Amino acid sequence: MTDQLVMGTDTGPSTPAPPDREAAARRTARGRRWRRTAVLALGWVAIYAVWEAASWWFGSRLLPRPHEVLQSAIEIIETGNFVGDFSASVLKTFAGFGVAALVGAPIGYLMGRSRYWRAFFHDGVTIAGTIPAIVYAVMSLIVFGLSNLGPILAVALVSAPYVALNVAEGIRGVDQQLITMSEAFGRTPRQIRREVLVPTIVPFVFAAIRMCFAVAWKVEALTEVFGGRSGVGFQIRTEYQLYDISAVLAWMVLFIAFMLVIERLVLAKAESRLLAWRPEERGAAL
Amino acid sequence: MTTVSDQPTSAVARRRSTTEIEQDTPQWRKVLTSDPAARVTSLLAFVLFWVLVSALYDRVPGPVAVWTSLVDEFSRGEVFGNFASTLYRFGVGVALATVVGVAVGVLMGLSQLSRAFLESPVLVALSIPAIIWSFLTVMWFGFGDTSPIVTTFLTSVPFVVVNVAQGVRGVSRDLRDMSATYDVPMGRRVRDLVLPAVTGYIAAGVRFAIIIGWNGVLLAEWFGGGGGVGYRARFWYDANRYAGFAAWVVLFVGFIVLLDRLVLDRMIQRSFRWRDSR
Repeated sequence: MTDQLVMGTDTGPSTPAPPDREAAARRTARGRRWRRTAVLALGWVAIYAVWEAASWWFGSRLLPRPHEVLQSAIEIIETGNFVGDFSASVLKTFAGFGVAALVGAPIGYLMGRSRYWRAFFHDGVTIAGTIPAIVYAVMSLIVFGLSNLGPILAVALVSAPYVALNVAEGIRGVDQQLITMSEAFGRTPRQIRREVLVPTIVPFVFAAIRMCFAVAWKVEALTEVFGGRSGVGFQIRTEYQLYDISAVLAWMVLFIAFMLVIERLVLAKAESRLLAWRPEERGAAL
Repeated sequence: MTTVSDQPTSAVARRRSTTEIEQDTPQWRKVLTSDPAARVTSLLAFVLFWVLVSALYDRVPGPVAVWTSLVDEFSRGEVFGNFASTLYRFGVGVALATVVGVAVGVLMGLSQLSRAFLESPVLVALSIPAIIWSFLTVMWFGFGDTSPIVTTFLTSVPFVVVNVAQGVRGVSRDLRDMSATYDVPMGRRVRDLVLPAVTGYIAAGVRFAIIIGWNGVLLAEWFGGGGGVGYRARFWYDANRYAGFAAWVVLFVGFIVLLDRLVLDRMIQRSFRWRDSR
């Protein structure tokens, strides 16, 4: 945010500066941007260098070199197997989010609205947030065995506390004047709930889901590693059991890239569309 | 706190003052709806839920079975040795992650160029799942102390970096500009301006690191063979004795919850004191 402010003062077209000074300012701004991009690229070069050095140190059998991983990634893409596994993993993640929202949002609503329910749920929700992911993964397997429901349950268990806490925070942050005004104009509690409270929950549910998306897909993959029948985690486990480490890493790289794309494009777009009715808060919500 | 507790009561029964409602409520209702009673009720509800689930699914062990296997495990003398070796690995990993993370985070927060340079490595490190690290480190370092330590370190360090960098960037810009104008040496700037403002963020980052690192150490022990809490839990899981597994879950979840409640939460509140006490 601060960079943009600094840039703005440098390049601001509205400033009535003499043309030569304006051009000079533009040039410095361009130079700065260029330098930033160069350093950013340098960061990626550093990652590559560290990876190469580490695989030289451990030997390429224990840590395959980047181009070997790239090769297996290309193989995976060319065979076309990845579509089924990727869509299975993504669908399970989102199904888990759906369950988490269905369970977490009402709990958060109660926690935000009434003091009793806050005391009731508070301990459980905070404890559920600190339980290690491996526990959720194995527990879901014990409950459901080898089925697709296990990963869904694990994702739901991991993300429901976030959703509940965020919604509770959101409900407590509702403009009290709006509620007072609605009461003064004789709106029923039901109308207040539907028109004032519920619309305020939606962005908080979304923020929670975006916040725990990174954790959630990892838990999903972890559950599949422990006992899935399809999905990326299942493939990772299979390749690991065959000691094909470059394939393990290739699946991981593809999955990370895919999930980052989903996070950046799909979730961010959906959120900005849902929040379009309050443009002034869009920046703050991120 | 007070506004929240007042709001629902006044919304339900308008036209009556809060003191009137307060006097009308009978004593037993007040006791039942008090905060401690709510906590006890939620605990009871949880136990009831557990019993119900264990009755529905015979794969899920009930509270009694878990308790007996917990007692068994203690009487076998497996608990303290395994916990000690796990705690040693976990402690070394988290300590390393804190030191490295704070250093890198301060660097990242202070200068634009280092932030641009470190942005992508941190993003990549954040998105690599702990399971991959535990697979790799078990292969690299074998079944010893090293692989859980390295896994803990690698999974938790990016969280410390991100939190500390955010805290450093949040240091008052005016004060930073002023110290730049007056040519305050870098060492003093870090010591007197940055560190006090960042302590809270460091505490929050360490808390994250501890929660994430605990998961990392358990995973590495699960796939490694060098003893420890995770190894023992896997032993029971592989033997299809889920009560033994659940007993260990109770132990290590209890440990992390106690650590979080008794140490970390207080630490964070203490270090954010200057900001929150308005």
